[in-house]
Amino acid sequence: MRTRPGPWLAAPTALFLLAFFAMPLLIVSWYSLMPPRTFSMLGAPTLANYAAAFSDGYEKPLLWSMLGATLTTLICALMAWPTAKILHAHAGRAASIITALIALPIFISESVRLFGFSMFLLPRGGILAGSLNAWFDIQIGSILNTRLAALLGMIYVYFPFMLFPLLLGVSLIPEDRLEAARDLGAGRWALFREIELPLAAPGLMIGALLTFVLCLGANAEAAILGGRAVTVISAAIEQRFSYAQDWPMGAALTVIVILVTAAVVWPVLRRVDLNRIIQR
Amino acid sequence: MIRDRHVRYLKAVWIGTIILLLYIPIVSVVLVSLANTRYMRFPHRVWSLDAYREAVDSFTTWSIHLVSLQMALCVVIMAVVLGTLGAMAFARYDWHGRSVFQRLIVLPIFFPQPVLGLALLLSFSALGITPGWKTAVIAHAVWIVPIVTLVISIRLFGYDVAQEEAAFDLGASRWQVAREVTFPALWPGIFSGALFAFLLSWSNLPLSIFTSGADTPLPVWLFSRTATNYSPLVPAVAVIGTVISALLVILLLVLRRLFRRA
Repeated sequence: MRTRPGPWLAAPTALFLLAFFAMPLLIVSWYSLMPPRTFSMLGAPTLANYAAAFSDGYEKPLLWSMLGATLTTLICALMAWPTAKILHAHAGRAASIITALIALPIFISESVRLFGFSMFLLPRGGILAGSLNAWFDIQIGSILNTRLAALLGMIYVYFPFMLFPLLLGVSLIPEDRLEAARDLGAGRWALFREIELPLAAPGLMIGALLTFVLCLGANAEAAILGGRAVTVISAAIEQRFSYAQDWPMGAALTVIVILVTAAVVWPVLRRVDLNRIIQR
Repeated sequence: MIRDRHVRYLKAVWIGTIILLLYIPIVSVVLVSLANTRYMRFPHRVWSLDAYREAVDSFTTWSIHLVSLQMALCVVIMAVVLGTLGAMAFARYDWHGRSVFQRLIVLPIFFPQPVLGLALLLSFSALGITPGWKTAVIAHAVWIVPIVTLVISIRLFGYDVAQEEAAFDLGASRWQVAREVTFPALWPGIFSGALFAFLLSWSNLPLSIFTSGADTPLPVWLFSRTATNYSPLVPAVAVIGTVISALLVILLLVLRRLFRRA
């Protein structure tokens, strides 16, 4: 009876991810070392692509993506904190309906929601500009096809990814500890800094991590809402792969994004105990 | 007291604003779909359902939905099988290497999806595999299997292993225990996992866009037609595709309720 089924149960999933997650990353890493504009994997390894990545202006899309991801994460965190606190404090039927309403859009395709966003912002005949013009006789310009629009699109799409981990985090704060601190004369800021923030930190970190990483690769927001105002790193990589037919260069850019991701994800995941968060 | 009421009011306004902002784009799609013009001028001079009629008559509408449907069904099967096994290893059994497995399995969730799609595209091309809906299924599964594993694991953490031992002590066979004890306990997790898998695959854009090759699932079609070659079909198809997934979810939830009562 006392066999150890753990490794056997883990094996199929682990093998699947090895084959289709770890392997592709290895293949891409290897490709990034091939001579520029070749398609074979048998060339002599070189670092030429990495050198070119930093001399040919590819750091720009990468920096835009990182800036967009950082801003989105910060703004989402600032918006999600009060939201999570309110939903947690008023837990009940109404709060669960609101939570469900916030979660629902996750399951509606990004292409549908971003298309709607662009139609809302469309100049002149758009939902916003058209309504204001017809009913209030107000004419407004539009932020469509700007970097700001792309940023707003990312905040809009990734807000739930920040909110839900944070909601878990906030629920880890015991109410009696807050009360005890209040009785001892702790102010609002002290409560937040000394008790709420450290206790909710696992949820906050997971949420921030998820938002940052998803935004780092995001390209649909920039494509639909940003117009040609900004080139993000995924768009730059795709451009190398398809139009330029320069696989090794695209692979090198991919590896750089993977390294940035790993540098952010690994330290956090090592510290957070998943068992504890999930068990709640 | 008055200050309290103000705070309550502010909180309600804040939550209301968030909900409003989240739904503005979705409502916008519906509004746009109610006119049949190529150049939108809202408010519409003529409100009509013509775009929907055209969408239903169009072969493309059917084919993109079928591609999305067959992809989502394959992803559900893969995610449920691999996710259930993975969750047992994740949450049910204690074994050497479990904490490493737990950390590694969540990595695909914390990974930029378009970059994963591009890495898979390059790998498939390098290995001489032509991208199509099957490669897109693989790409979806890499991201969705870990999510479903977590969803089922959350359920499993609340599962009391002693029930199984009690059943064995009462003389139940291995098969009986699996069917009468383990499976009913796992079922709610599997159900939600399958639902998640379906919806996430059905709506996924960033993985499909690079890995689906010549086959076009719904979100990819919408994305490419939004960027170029816009037609009034786009908002109508967007609404149809979303409504189909919503109806399916409602149907499944109703069925589950009926079965539970029976």
